[in-house]
Amino acid sequence: MIDLLHAELKRTWIQFIRYPTEVISGVVIILAVFYGLFASAQYMAGPGFAFGDRLDAVVLGYALWTLIISVNNDIAINLQIEAETGTLEQVFLSPFGAPRVFLARAFASLALRLLILIVVLLLLMGISGSRLAFPPILLLPLVSLLLAGYGLAFLMGAAALVFKRVQQVLGIFQFLLLFLLAAPLEESTGPMQILRFLLPMLPSTGLLRYLMARGLELDWLTYALALLNGMVYFALGLLVFRWAEATAKQRGSLSGY
Amino acid sequence: MQLAHRPTEGWADHSSPGSIVLDTRDLSKVYGRGKQRFEAVQQVSLTLHQGEVLAFLGPNGAGKTTTIKMIAGLVRPTQGQVTVAGEDPHRQPRALRHIGAVLEGNRNLYWRLTPEENLEYFGVLRQVPRKLAHRRGLELLARFGLEDKRQTPVQKLSRGMQQKVAIAVALIHNPRLLLLDEPTLGLDVEASAMVKALVRQIAQEGRAVLLTTHQLDVAEELSDRVAIIRRGRIIAEQSTEALLREFSSSTYHLEVEDDLSPQQIQTVTQLGATVEGRQITYAGPPEHLYALLGALNPLPLVSVQRDRADLTQVFLKLVNDHPDTSL
Repeated sequence: MIDLLHAELKRTWIQFIRYPTEVISGVVIILAVFYGLFASAQYMAGPGFAFGDRLDAVVLGYALWTLIISVNNDIAINLQIEAETGTLEQVFLSPFGAPRVFLARAFASLALRLLILIVVLLLLMGISGSRLAFPPILLLPLVSLLLAGYGLAFLMGAAALVFKRVQQVLGIFQFLLLFLLAAPLEESTGPMQILRFLLPMLPSTGLLRYLMARGLELDWLTYALALLNGMVYFALGLLVFRWAEATAKQRGSLSGY
Repeated sequence: MQLAHRPTEGWADHSSPGSIVLDTRDLSKVYGRGKQRFEAVQQVSLTLHQGEVLAFLGPNGAGKTTTIKMIAGLVRPTQGQVTVAGEDPHRQPRALRHIGAVLEGNRNLYWRLTPEENLEYFGVLRQVPRKLAHRRGLELLARFGLEDKRQTPVQKLSRGMQQKVAIAVALIHNPRLLLLDEPTLGLDVEASAMVKALVRQIAQEGRAVLLTTHQLDVAEELSDRVAIIRRGRIIAEQSTEALLREFSSSTYHLEVEDDLSPQQIQTVTQLGATVEGRQITYAGPPEHLYALLGALNPLPLVSVQRDRADLTQVFLKLVNDHPDTSL
């Protein structure tokens, strides 16, 4: 399994880096978007405003949002690309089994995306001369967020295996994601207090907001629930993906798109 | 064309010669339900031994690819069983270690990766330890004459080279069964000859090869046995040689250098042959052939030839004439 992870990291990295102009233009575009965001937030806040935590929250929040969007679409889009280019069936011929291969791929692509984000944020700090604080405690809700995010990614991958063309669904799905990431349900009362632990990612995004924007301490009970939420959605995603693989093999439609 | 054969230690180290590698029993695949029900494959039973090449032939849509994918565990059979080296790829993912496949129309490779990188990646994907996969990859590239291209991205290679890399990738985990769906499709004459030579070598190493092709001359040249599928059913399965013999007539064509004398013409005609100038056609019992040759003595012979069917004739005859119960 370590070999598989290493091989996936290597493959993802080589495919990314093979054409350097593509890499540079990609990083420049993301950097421009982030810088625009940063500059406009600064403009709105005014030069005399002490934009410490609040601005960090804007930029980091946006970084997380792009990360989660790409994570969610990752498996479904890659399945579709590989079916079109013709490597998908070779992947399904692996004795590791498709779920393990796609899990290794998920880790590899996450590592690459995190790396790009870190590079972009460092460049942004260099250009703007300001510093973004990233307290290590943020990593905890980030893990539970990514677990749930990859659970959803496997669900979308399952949909791609069974229903094939899923671009439109992925587009609509982004609005749902916006709700899951942005709805401040942690402030709500009544049944919503319970519901927010049942919906994917919501408890983790709530925690992140607490930590980043409001500068509060991590509530360990809430975090335990957020982690449980992440693990349940992750397991659910894997289960449904297995079912989708069996269904596609039954229908003989593994490679057809 | 450089095809140096360099067997390596531990390479193709398979069990006793002639052992059964692939065994399918009554494989059937039904798609859809009700009025849309379509039986793509019906009760296909095939056996393939070590070192044997089976050409799996049939018209488009006859069920070849579905059968190959059922063998590879990519399509689940409605009924029947697949056993590869004693394991069922549909129940035991381990069984996939015995199978290598180059599927039709697919690129089978990552185009941004070089042949060397593709081989290492797919080796690990097939559970070969990374360092071993790397070493075997280099060996295969050397054997397939691709050493100088090992660091060129696959998308910059010619179609023939890409196909060779795809076959090398299918062999990286030293499988006992190689499935080749249309391995020479779209290749030029030279590349096609190279792939044919490779397939022969691969079988000689002791692997079983199941290949589908529309190029019947390729099948005739490479295969030990032929299975012909039509509308999902196997309509013929036997050794290529026996099949060709069965469909060859026992007519002989003889040519002599000088005209026959009237006496010779009379004797020859009595033996059941017909004479047209210096050409003699004989369709009688083979044991009388020597009497015929005796009657022609001492005329110098130019040629003696027996009619021999080629696989194309056999295939067309079987596919077009075979009674079809489903019609």
